[in-house]
Amino acid sequence: MFEMFEYDFMQRAFLAGVLIATLASISGTFIVLKRYSMMSETLAHSALVGVAVGLVAGFNPLWMAVVVAVLSAWMIEYLRSTFALYSDAILSILLSGSLAVAIIIVSLGGAFNNSLFSYLFGSILSVSQADILTIVGFGSVALLLLLLFSKELYFIAYDEEVAKTSGIKVTLLNYLLVSVVAIIIALSIRVVGSLLIGALMVIPTVAALQFRVGFLKTVLISLFIALGSVIVGMTLSYYYSLPSGATIVLCVIAIFILSLSLNKR
Amino acid sequence: MSLSFKVPIFDVKNINFSAASQHILSNVSLEIFNGEYIAIIGPNGGGKTTLARILLGLTQPTSGEVKLYGKKLKAFKNWEKIGYVPQRASHVDENFPATVEDIVKMGVTSKHSFFSILSKEEKQRIEESMLKMDVLDLKEKMVGKLSGGQRQRAMIARALASKPEILILDEPNTGVDMVSQKRFYALLRKLNKEENITILFITHDVGVIADDISRLFTVNQKITICNSPKETLSCDEMSALYGIETHSIHQHKHHEH
Repeated sequence: MFEMFEYDFMQRAFLAGVLIATLASISGTFIVLKRYSMMSETLAHSALVGVAVGLVAGFNPLWMAVVVAVLSAWMIEYLRSTFALYSDAILSILLSGSLAVAIIIVSLGGAFNNSLFSYLFGSILSVSQADILTIVGFGSVALLLLLLFSKELYFIAYDEEVAKTSGIKVTLLNYLLVSVVAIIIALSIRVVGSLLIGALMVIPTVAALQFRVGFLKTVLISLFIALGSVIVGMTLSYYYSLPSGATIVLCVIAIFILSLSLNKR
Repeated sequence: MSLSFKVPIFDVKNINFSAASQHILSNVSLEIFNGEYIAIIGPNGGGKTTLARILLGLTQPTSGEVKLYGKKLKAFKNWEKIGYVPQRASHVDENFPATVEDIVKMGVTSKHSFFSILSKEEKQRIEESMLKMDVLDLKEKMVGKLSGGQRQRAMIARALASKPEILILDEPNTGVDMVSQKRFYALLRKLNKEENITILFITHDVGVIADDISRLFTVNQKITICNSPKETLSCDEMSALYGIETHSIHQHKHHEH
């Protein structure tokens, strides 16, 4: 079983996978509790615009994805707080709009090739040393911010208005959360792909919620599920030559179904 | 009243609020002083909740001014002095991953700007708040699994954990049985009398707390302030304004005696 670790690319793939699973599941808890699940899908598509710009202009696509996803997250948060009634419509407009812009940029730049394809569906086996460094660098900042403000973010997710009347800087922390999520999503699309990252962010938490336990335990179960799915998914993908992102997502869905049946009311 | 020389906790002057070209609040002025127990009653849609939201800065009035401890709301910083339990508190999402203790801990969150590790004093305060509201035994229990009365007490325990000087409660009795309600009123009375916590209680059922409250505000677009509620509660003016409530007041009174 451990022969796969003889290859450098598999070691990198596992390292990237474990980092992304950790980041996606912890941030995913806040996203699900705040009912922002759809936002993760939209940001994943906005990140593709950054990838497209990077590919065409010759910049690091992952860095560009981070920049565009964060800008897009700020725009979504602004529109969400200003036009609360139409927030789901805003997300769906931005989602398809970003994908369209990404495709146009890449096709005008003559680069509509495997590169973009690998960001759509994830290509964990082609994760480079530089990618790992980018994920570790941005990922540690994102994780640190989440841990620093976890109590405040949890309170806001529970009741935004009560949090506000307790003196918590709700608007600022909402922007902080969406920025952190945008960074994590942009980093993840290399591993699971922009079409699939939403699943890794949302499903482990939804599965963990089925156990009906307190906050800390929910975060830990969600983390455990995400790590388990990534490790099992990548192992299966190695031995059966399956696409890694899709295999990981099917694993997390299988665990979700299992947790549903384990916790049947 | 003898308290008038003090700086009021809330000083509200000429508040007006309109939404969708409808007048919700009209020229509302009031003062709330330390140690008072005030009930706000009024018909549904009369503007009670809007008034509470304006006091807390959650809704901006069309005109007028709210001062909290002598400061304009935007400049006010000591929000830990305010404990707010909104109307929807008893309708918490059943799947929200929170034990009673998780919820009560939120009460001390505002004190932290970085790493939320609790001090010994804060841990003690959390325990004390749970003890005061009779939910210490339930601290491991999920809020989704609590009864209406237990949930209500957990929410107040959360508000108490920040050591508030004033509690603002917006009809926290929805879905709570009569026995739990009585227990709850007794706890509120104790907080007000023994710990000098000012209470602003929005309710549709003022009869049961008639003996506890110091003043009564009736809100129906305009505000009427009754300084001696025990007399006012039985007066004809109240009957004319709030027929149903006054009727229920007499019923409760009748049951109690």
